[in-house]
Amino acid sequence: MMLFSDIVQLSLQNLRLHKVRSVLTSLGVIFGVGSVIAMLAISEGAKRKALEQIEAMGIDKIIVYSKKPPSAGAGVSSSRTSRIDAYGLSAVDRRKILELDNIERITRVRDARKKILKGLDRMDLKLVGVDRDFLEDSASGMVAGRWFSGLDFHSPQNICVIGSNVKRKLFPLGARDVIGAPIRVEGQVFRVIGVLHNDIGATYPEVGNPNDMILIPFPTSEILYGNYAYTDDGTGIRVTLIDYDVFLLKIRNLEYIDNTARRLINYLGKSHSKVKDWEVIVPLDLLKQREATQNIFTIVMSSIAGISLIVGGIGIMNIMLASVFERRKEIGTRRALGAQKVDILLQFLIETVSLTSLGGLLGVILGIGISQIITYYAGMPTVYSLWSIVASMLISSLVGVIFGTYPAWQAAQQNPITVLRAE
Amino acid sequence: MTMSNSIPPFEITPYAGGEVVLRLSDIRKTYNSGELAVNVLKGISFEIRRGQFVGIVGTSGSGKSTMLNILGMLDVPTSGSYLLEDINVETLTDQEQATIRNRKIGFIFQSFNLFPYLTIEQNIEVPMIYNRVSRRVRRARALELAKQVGLGHRLGHRPTQLSGGECQRVAVARSLGNHPTFLLADEPTGNLDEKTGNEIMNLFHRLNREQNVTIVMVTHNPLFEPHYDQVIRLRDGLVVQEFPQGAFAS
Repeated sequence: MMLFSDIVQLSLQNLRLHKVRSVLTSLGVIFGVGSVIAMLAISEGAKRKALEQIEAMGIDKIIVYSKKPPSAGAGVSSSRTSRIDAYGLSAVDRRKILELDNIERITRVRDARKKILKGLDRMDLKLVGVDRDFLEDSASGMVAGRWFSGLDFHSPQNICVIGSNVKRKLFPLGARDVIGAPIRVEGQVFRVIGVLHNDIGATYPEVGNPNDMILIPFPTSEILYGNYAYTDDGTGIRVTLIDYDVFLLKIRNLEYIDNTARRLINYLGKSHSKVKDWEVIVPLDLLKQREATQNIFTIVMSSIAGISLIVGGIGIMNIMLASVFERRKEIGTRRALGAQKVDILLQFLIETVSLTSLGGLLGVILGIGISQIITYYAGMPTVYSLWSIVASMLISSLVGVIFGTYPAWQAAQQNPITVLRAE
Repeated sequence: MTMSNSIPPFEITPYAGGEVVLRLSDIRKTYNSGELAVNVLKGISFEIRRGQFVGIVGTSGSGKSTMLNILGMLDVPTSGSYLLEDINVETLTDQEQATIRNRKIGFIFQSFNLFPYLTIEQNIEVPMIYNRVSRRVRRARALELAKQVGLGHRLGHRPTQLSGGECQRVAVARSLGNHPTFLLADEPTGNLDEKTGNEIMNLFHRLNREQNVTIVMVTHNPLFEPHYDQVIRLRDGLVVQEFPQGAFAS
């Protein structure tokens, strides 16, 4: 048997000789691997983003929020022009929930449901009353000014902390100092004392992202707006009676979070037995669910990848069989000059493996290219993992071994007499 | 016609040779095609001694090609014995046969059979590669052999850049790589014009006379017969004439 390095060199020499044909032959593998890499990168990117959002809500939190029931308002008032919607979490709920032993604290959030205007344009921003722990419990940080002090909660005043998007939207570009600037909301004026930024993108049901909020101390909200809000939906005035929109529950012991959530749901189910006007989110559960879905997705992806690689492999096997026939004079000459069957076998096998490995490599490059383009034009985040690249390369080589064995065996079985005579 | 291109003079005495390197006795070969058995070789016996230049001649259908295949160990006889040096060839496995072909037989083909994608140097190295000769030694030997056939300056070229005669010289150089027991040439001038063919014959002649290389040449060209120390003429699967007369008797 010849030296291994010589066989490898020989096989590569043959591929270099037919550059175009080699690339065309491995097209199946190139596109197979390319699409897998691209799709994995996209799904991984989407997963990361979703996980970040889930994590941003805090895995040591349970989030309870008021949900407008489908039938709300229908039975409360028969008036056409003035309807009352009363639903959601109440002060009693708050007290009862605090009695559950694994809950450290509740941070209340209430949307005042006011129109925020800039000139005549309605902005997609919210005026929200929050408790003092909101800054910590939403994992936000201050980028300018200060957060509310205890005093601000004892003697309520018209002050606010604005989210970074609020600053961008309401104040002209380049405005240095927004601290102390007034914001007018439906007749009330709030003085800005700080700018907040939430960089993990926490998004809460009903109230959204803290960056889009004008935050006021909860007592101020209670004094100014109470538990009602008027909204005009075009057909008439609608009154919404709601105590709290969102509770951020901080959990003491994460181990028992499932138990706590169960008891919470139990309690809410009993006390709000008439209509279901609440919802509970356990970010940790979402995280687990998401991971389970991800596993299914990965299995489906792998199956598709497997099929495309099999198709690619069959294509390569076909071409290699044709190549064996075409090169039978070469094979015969080599056998006459002293090549063992195993030398011929290895020469063709390594050639096929090189082809598929090359295809795998080009596929990885193609896949990364595709996902870059998608990120650039569609703005979807993409993440490539090292294991997906390494696995693609290994599997491509394996495809070469599987589909190269038969043509290589055929080559080794060629009878040197008959193949030498073939001109 | 210059001296170097002409056939050497007739009066060269046939060389009786050294020890026997090839001994074939009663070689028969039968092909079974369906119910019809075709006897291609009907009992062939001869000896070849070291340093001889032997011609196996005959018209097509005489069994020449089959003889060549058996001599080259690409085919096995139906019966009879074939001794190469001390080795009884019939009992060898496929793997051992390949090893013998590699080390003891230097093949030269009618259509050269060079590898077009390899350089001249790499072409010459092929049999040495299968003999696991180290890269360094291979290089040196390839250069030496290329110089011997007058192509020392073209090592980096590819076969397509060479003329037919030059290609056959490369093939001769390639056949010598592993110091084979004998060269087995199959119509080596068949694809060349007369002048180039004579040049190749002179190369064989020189190798034979100067380096004592044993050569077995299968050809139908009667013009080359004066070169041979021994002629084995086949007709219908039998040896019909030997030259010089009585060469096998001794």
